[in-house]
Amino acid sequence: MEQDTIAQLKKINWFTELREDFFDALAQKVRKRILNRDEILFNKGDVGNSLFIINSGRVKIVTQDSQNNEVILNQVGAGEVIGEMALLDYEPRSAGVVALEETSVMELSREDFMEILSRQPELALSIIRSLIARLRHNTSYIENITEMSRRVARGDYSFISETPSVQTDEDKIGQLMAEFIAMVQGVREREEELKEQVQKLAPQIDEAKRKQVFEEIIGTDFYANLKQQAQKLRAQRMDNK
Amino acid sequence: MGKIVAIHSFRGGTGKSNVTANLAAQVALAGKRVGLVDTDIQSPGIHVLFGLDETNMGNTLNDFLHGKCTIGEVAYPVGDNAGQLKELAGKYLWLFPSSIRGHEISQILRDGFDINLLNAGLQTLMSEFDLDCLFIDTHPGLNEETLLSIAISDLLIVILRPDNQDFQGTAVTVDIARSLDVPNLLLMVNKAVPGYDYDDLKGQIEGAYKAPLTGILPLNYELAGNASKDLFSLSNPLHPWSMELRKVTEAILAIP
Repeated sequence: MEQDTIAQLKKINWFTELREDFFDALAQKVRKRILNRDEILFNKGDVGNSLFIINSGRVKIVTQDSQNNEVILNQVGAGEVIGEMALLDYEPRSAGVVALEETSVMELSREDFMEILSRQPELALSIIRSLIARLRHNTSYIENITEMSRRVARGDYSFISETPSVQTDEDKIGQLMAEFIAMVQGVREREEELKEQVQKLAPQIDEAKRKQVFEEIIGTDFYANLKQQAQKLRAQRMDNK
Repeated sequence: MGKIVAIHSFRGGTGKSNVTANLAAQVALAGKRVGLVDTDIQSPGIHVLFGLDETNMGNTLNDFLHGKCTIGEVAYPVGDNAGQLKELAGKYLWLFPSSIRGHEISQILRDGFDINLLNAGLQTLMSEFDLDCLFIDTHPGLNEETLLSIAISDLLIVILRPDNQDFQGTAVTVDIARSLDVPNLLLMVNKAVPGYDYDDLKGQIEGAYKAPLTGILPLNYELAGNASKDLFSLSNPLHPWSMELRKVTEAILAIP
């Protein structure tokens, strides 16, 4: 059982450079919990004092929209880690977590984490490296999206077919990228639809209405008189030419 | 004997006055003797493009229609007062403005005027100024003075925007022009937004009205930003709007 725990701990990005003997210590400190289906692990806004590693099962990461309806941000399963940021930044939980099925998790408290960190400062370097890797990854997506935005502004949508599809269960920046591509696709479709409508614009004339308005105008005495005068005038001017 | 060119649009907002003023200026540039009458008595606007305002406007069409002066005394010689419109200096272009004084506008709308007098005035100035071309800027819709302008015209130019309300109204104007035996009818489009298939649009419109379409003038933000202060085709001769406008000028000049 402990070997399983150690194997799970080794999957955590932050711990990849941790010395073997520390995993034993770490494994002693984690607390196992079993969640029933629909059980809440924590709510959005809760104080975050620990991280969780999912051993088995599946959970959803949720928040609420402006009408207080649940919005599922993501689903995560075995081997994945939740809430690791809270160990370092002391911020309240940015989203809630609810079990989708019976789920087994391991909890590591901030206190225990800090204690390990003080005994092995290299862990801090490892964490920094992992954060830098994440930062680089995000930056490359931001650069891509910036360039794509420029191209959309020019009406150039050709990158949609060039961009490899992004899995929506990737990290948040990956989700942004997927949403962005979907948005551009939607904008292009609407634009094409509109172009189609514009090109198809042809004079639509209501002939009955046309006739009615025409007859109203020509039905007056003024018009009859005008028509007669106009004919005379034209004849005169033709003579003068 | 010169020709009378009435410019009409069924609805307001087509840029009719602006187009009319630019057409008149271009024909004058070609060396013709040109008159330009603003019969849009309800909402005159063409004077602004020639630098006229309340302070320097002399006699108006309203004065003539009320018997206060002759039609000749209404003439404002643009060629002698070109100012910023330096291209028009020395050209034969006379403007016959409508009054922009509120009480004079409301007076003529209330009391009406003798449509025969307007007709006589227009015929007089054709011969008195020995005009090659008399442009009449009409009021949108089909009221009596507009019907008169159409009735006496040798060429009717109908300006429309590419939208269904204008398509419908233009149909009636075209019917009226045919009923009044107007010898030449020309359609032009103004404020065409980008993205149209212009060739297709031309075919559609010509097919619908059985009349030639000359000039599809693009929606011109620079012209709108210009706030109607000068003649765009003079200050921006190479702009697509001006180039399309000159096609219409050529069509006017080609009519005998």
